[in-house]
Amino acid sequence: MDLSAYTTDGFFDEMFAGDGSIRPHYQKLFERLGTLSVDEFKNKQQAVDLLFLRAGVTFTVYSDNQGTERIFPFDLMPRIIPDKEWQFLERGLKQRITALNCFLHDIYHDQKILKDGVIPPSYVLSAKHFRREFVGSDVPRDIYIHICGTDLIRDKDGRYLVLEDNGRCPSGVSYVVENRQAMRRAFPHLFPSAGVKPVENYAEQLLKMLRRIAPHGQDNPTVGVLTPGVYNSAYFEHCFLARQMGVEIVEGRDLLVRDFKVYMRTTKGLRQVDVLYRRIDDDFIDPSVFRPDSLLGVPGLVNAVRAGNLALANSIGTGVADDKVMYYFVPRMIKYYLDQEPILDQVETYLASEDKDRDYILKNLDKLVVKAANEAGGYGMLMGPWAEKEEIEKFRQAIIANPRNFIAQSPISLSRHPTWCQDSQQFEGRHIDFRPYILYGGPDDIDIIPGGLTRVALTRGSLVVNSSQGGGSKDTWVLYGND
Amino acid sequence: MLSRVADSLYWMARSMERADNLARLVEVNLQLLLDFKDLDNVKLKEHWDPVIRSTAEEDLFYELYDEANSTTVTEFMTFNRDNPNSVIGCIMAARENARMVRDQISSELWETLNNLYLFLKSDDARKVFDTGAYEFYDRIKSQSLLFQGLTAATLPRDECYDFLQVGKYLERADKTTRMLDVKYHILLPSPQDVGGAIDTTQWVALLRAASAYDAYHAHYLANIDPSNVADFLIFSETFPRSIRFCAQELDARLHNISGCPQGRYSNEAEKLSGKLLSDLTYSSVEDVFKYGMHEWLDLCQERLNEIGESTYQAYMFQKPLDMAEEIQQQQQQQQ
Amino acid sequence: MKLRVLHRTTYRYARPAYDSFNEVRLQPIEHHWQKRLSYDLRSNPISARGGYLDLYLNAVDVLEYTQPHETLEIEAESTVETTTRTLPGPEDPAGLNDPAYALQLHDFLVDSHYVQLSPDLWRQAVDCLPNGVTDLWQDSVTLSHWIYDHFEYAPGSTHAHTTVNEALSKRQGVCQDFAHVLLGLCRSLKIPARYVSGYFFNEEFDPSQGGSEASHAWVEIFLPTVGWYGIDPTHRRPVDERYISIAVGRDYADIRPVSGTYRGAPERTMEIFVRVSQDLPTNA
Repeated sequence: MDLSAYTTDGFFDEMFAGDGSIRPHYQKLFERLGTLSVDEFKNKQQAVDLLFLRAGVTFTVYSDNQGTERIFPFDLMPRIIPDKEWQFLERGLKQRITALNCFLHDIYHDQKILKDGVIPPSYVLSAKHFRREFVGSDVPRDIYIHICGTDLIRDKDGRYLVLEDNGRCPSGVSYVVENRQAMRRAFPHLFPSAGVKPVENYAEQLLKMLRRIAPHGQDNPTVGVLTPGVYNSAYFEHCFLARQMGVEIVEGRDLLVRDFKVYMRTTKGLRQVDVLYRRIDDDFIDPSVFRPDSLLGVPGLVNAVRAGNLALANSIGTGVADDKVMYYFVPRMIKYYLDQEPILDQVETYLASEDKDRDYILKNLDKLVVKAANEAGGYGMLMGPWAEKEEIEKFRQAIIANPRNFIAQSPISLSRHPTWCQDSQQFEGRHIDFRPYILYGGPDDIDIIPGGLTRVALTRGSLVVNSSQGGGSKDTWVLYGND
Repeated sequence: MLSRVADSLYWMARSMERADNLARLVEVNLQLLLDFKDLDNVKLKEHWDPVIRSTAEEDLFYELYDEANSTTVTEFMTFNRDNPNSVIGCIMAARENARMVRDQISSELWETLNNLYLFLKSDDARKVFDTGAYEFYDRIKSQSLLFQGLTAATLPRDECYDFLQVGKYLERADKTTRMLDVKYHILLPSPQDVGGAIDTTQWVALLRAASAYDAYHAHYLANIDPSNVADFLIFSETFPRSIRFCAQELDARLHNISGCPQGRYSNEAEKLSGKLLSDLTYSSVEDVFKYGMHEWLDLCQERLNEIGESTYQAYMFQKPLDMAEEIQQQQQQQQ
Repeated sequence: MKLRVLHRTTYRYARPAYDSFNEVRLQPIEHHWQKRLSYDLRSNPISARGGYLDLYLNAVDVLEYTQPHETLEIEAESTVETTTRTLPGPEDPAGLNDPAYALQLHDFLVDSHYVQLSPDLWRQAVDCLPNGVTDLWQDSVTLSHWIYDHFEYAPGSTHAHTTVNEALSKRQGVCQDFAHVLLGLCRSLKIPARYVSGYFFNEEFDPSQGGSEASHAWVEIFLPTVGWYGIDPTHRRPVDERYISIAVGRDYADIRPVSGTYRGAPERTMEIFVRVSQDLPTNA
C-alpha cells in the first residue's frame, strides 16, 4: 500500500502531522501496510464486508416502508489512540459522567443546582425529557446513567471536544467488538506487535455492572435486555449483548407485572426479572404512565421500579441530560458538584433562549451549526455555511417561534483520517468522530472500554458520520504505550 | 425459556421444513409432467389444482393468476413473496424467527439460514432457476439438509432443540399426508392406465419426492405397489418422513419438554400426540383404505393441527396484545 | 368545619378487564387550614397497593388489578377539619420577583397540557384588566368573576379532554373548564395559578332526594405574603371552609382522580358517587 500521494489538505489528520511526517503511534501500522499490496487489501476488505452481511451484523433503515437491512460500512484502516491521550480522555470522561449523574440525582430530588441558580430552573423544567413523574423516586445507588456514549471530535488543532452526551440508549458498542473481531481475522499478525488493548470484555463488564444494581442487594439476580423488537434498527446489537452476557433478550410482550414485580413468561411459567438493560425510550416503556399508545412497553413497569423491585439501566428520566441546552451547562455542573475544572473542553455553544445569544444566532445563521435541543442521529440540524437560503429561513422561523428548543455552535473542522475510497482506489482523508462507551457503577467504579466507535463520513468533504446518513466505522486501537 | 422464544423456534423449524417440502412438491410435479402425453390446458389445470390446494392457498393463487400452468404455479410456490407459503415466503419467515432467537441458536445455523435467504433474494437465485429448475430445488433441499445437520451437530439437546424438533416433525407429518393426498387424487388409476407405465412412474415420483425411493426399495425390493407405498409412507417405523416416525418423534420431544414419561401425559398436547401415536401403532394400511384414504388423511391433518394448537396453548400462549385494547380510564370533574 | 367525604367510582366493563394499572389521587391534602383526620381507600376487587408523593406533593395511591374482572369499584372515604382563612389583602405583583420563586412557580406560569396559552386568552385577560396587574389577589378575583358572568355552566357540553381554548370559545363548560380558563387568564398575565381538585360541601343538597354530588375543581393563586389561596370561578367566590382540596397541579392532567390503563373491551361505563356531609356517614 502506498500512501505517498496522500494529502492532509490543511486539516488535522490523525495519521500524518502537518509537515507530512507520520505520527509515531501510527508508525508500526504504516510499516505493516507498506508490505501489503492493494489487491490483498481489497480482498480483505471484501471478505470482511461479506462476513458482516452473512453474520447479519446489520442495522435497519426505514427509508421505505419495508425496512432494509444494511451493513454498517467498515473501513479497514484503524484509528489509533496512544496511551497518553487515552488516559487524558478517560479522566475527562469519568469526570463528566460523574457530574452528569450528580446532576440527574439532584434535579430529581433536592434540585439544589436550580435553587442555587447555577442553572436557570426554567431550562430543566421545560426540558422535553424531564420526567416530573419521577421526581422524588429513588434509584439503586443513585445512578441514573449507567451506560453512556459520549461523542467526541477533534478540531483543527487536534484538541478533543465533547460534542454530545448520549445518556438514554446509546447504541453502537456491538460494532466496536465486531469490528475488532473482523480486524483480527483480516490482520491476524498485526495485533500482538501493535500492542492494542482488548475491547472484547465489554459485555462481561456490562453484566457485572447490571448485577450490581439489582434490587435488595440480590446475589444472583435475573437480568434481561429489553428490546423494542426485531424491527428496531439496533436489534442486532440487543441480541449481540444479550448473547454475550448470557441473559435473556425480552420484548415488552414477554413481560408482565404482578404485585409490583416484573415477570417474564417462560415455558415453565412466570419468572421474576430483577434488572433490565432497557433499549426502549422512556416514552414507550410503560403505557399506563407515559404514552398510552405504546405497543412496546409493559403496563405497570414504572410502579415496579418505584416499589424498588426492578432496576432499570439506564434509569427513567436521563433524557434531560441529552438535551442540548443541558450540554451547555455541563461545565458548570462539573464545577458545582465536583468543584473541579472540566478536563475535556466542549464546543462553544449559544442558547437561542438567551436574548443576547439569540440575536447573535439569528444574525449569523449562515455561519453557525444550529441544532434542535432534543433530536439525535443528525436530524433537526442546520449546517449554516452549507445550507440553502430556504432552509436557513425555515430555521429562523423555528428559532423565533420556540427559542428554548435550539442551540447553535460554530462549525468545527473535524479531524480527518486516511480512509480507503472505493471510487479512487486509494486512501483519502475523511472526517471522523469518536464515541467511547462508559459504564458507571458509582464515582469510584467507572469502566471505559479502551476503544470505542470511530465513525467516518465516507462522502468526500462530508461532516455527517451517522450510520443512517452515509457514515461508516473504523476499528479504534488504544495502545498500551505511546508508539 | 421465554414463551416467545419457544414460539419462534417452533416456527423457524416449521417454516424451514415447509420450504423444503414445497421445493420437493414442485420439483416432483414438474418431473411428473414430463411423462404425460397430450397435455392441454385442461389437463394442466387438473394436474396443478390439487397441488395448489394442498398448500391451502388456492384462493390467493387465483387472485394473482388467471390460470394454473407450470409457469404460474412454479412462480407462485417458489418466488412469490405475496404467498406466505412459497419457498421464499417460508425462508423469510424462518429467518425472521431465527433473527428473534439468534441468541439461542448456533451462529453456524443462523448463517446458513441467512445465506439461503440472501441467495433467494438475490438475482443469482433467478439465474440458477433459469438454467435449471432441478438444480435450483436441489440447492434448496441441500441447504435444508445442511440446516438439519447443523441442528443435530451444533445444538445442545435442551428445550431449544426439543421445540425445533416439535415444529419440524409436526410440519413434516402434515406435509407427508398432503403429498399422499395430492397423489391420491392424481394417481387414482383410470381404468385404461391400471398397471401401465404411467401409474408406476407416478408412484415412483411420489417416493422420490419424499426421498423415500431408496429406502422403499430396501424394504420392498423392486415391487412398486400403491398399497405398499402408502403403507411405507404412513406406517414405516424407521423411515424418517413417514407419518408414524414423525408421530414417534413428536411424542418423545413433547414429553421431553415437560419431563413427563412417555405413555402418560401432563398436558393436552401430550395426550393428543400419544393417542395419535397409538392409533398409528395399532392400525394398518388396510384400515386406512377401509376408512377411505382421503378421509383418513384429512382426519390425520386435523389431529396434527390440534397437537400444534395445544402445544401452543401449553407453552407459547400469550394473551393477544391488541393495543386498541389498552384503554385509558379517567373521569371528568363536575360540579 | 368537620366534613366527611365518600367518593366511589364504579367501572363496568363489557368484557372482563385485566392488567389494569391505576393511579388514584383522592387523599385530602394536609394544610394549616385543612387537617386530614382520616383517609381510607378500598376497592373491589382487592388490589395490590403502592403509593408515592408526586412532584406537587400529592399523595398518589397506585392500584393494580391484573386478574380479569367485570366491575371495578374504588372507594375513598375521608374526614377533614377545615377552617376559613382570612381573606388576602392587596398583593403587589413585584413580590414575585424574588429569584427564589423561579423554581417554585415555574410550572404554574407556563403552558400546560390542557392550558395552552394563546393570543385569545391574553386578549381576554387584558380586556378584563385594562390597567394591567396591580393587585394579584383582586385582579384574579376580577378575572374569576368575568368567567362566572360570561360562561354558562352546562354539564355535558364538554368532556374530560376539553382544552382551555375550546372552552373559551364555547363560553360554557363545567368546573374543570372554568378552572382551566381562569388558569389561562392568570398565566397570560404572569399571575402564578394552579389547578385544585377536591370537593365542595353544599348545605342545600338533600341526600334524601337520592342522587350524587360531584367532585369539584377550582384555582389557587400564589400570593407572596400568604402563599397559595383558592378562588372558585364556578361559584364566584374565594375558597372557604366548605372546600376540601385533594390534589394540585398544572391542570387537570396532573390531578386526574383515577387514571390508568387496562386491557379488555373499550366499552365500559363509569359511575361516580360523591357524598360530602357534615355529620357522620350516611348509608351511601
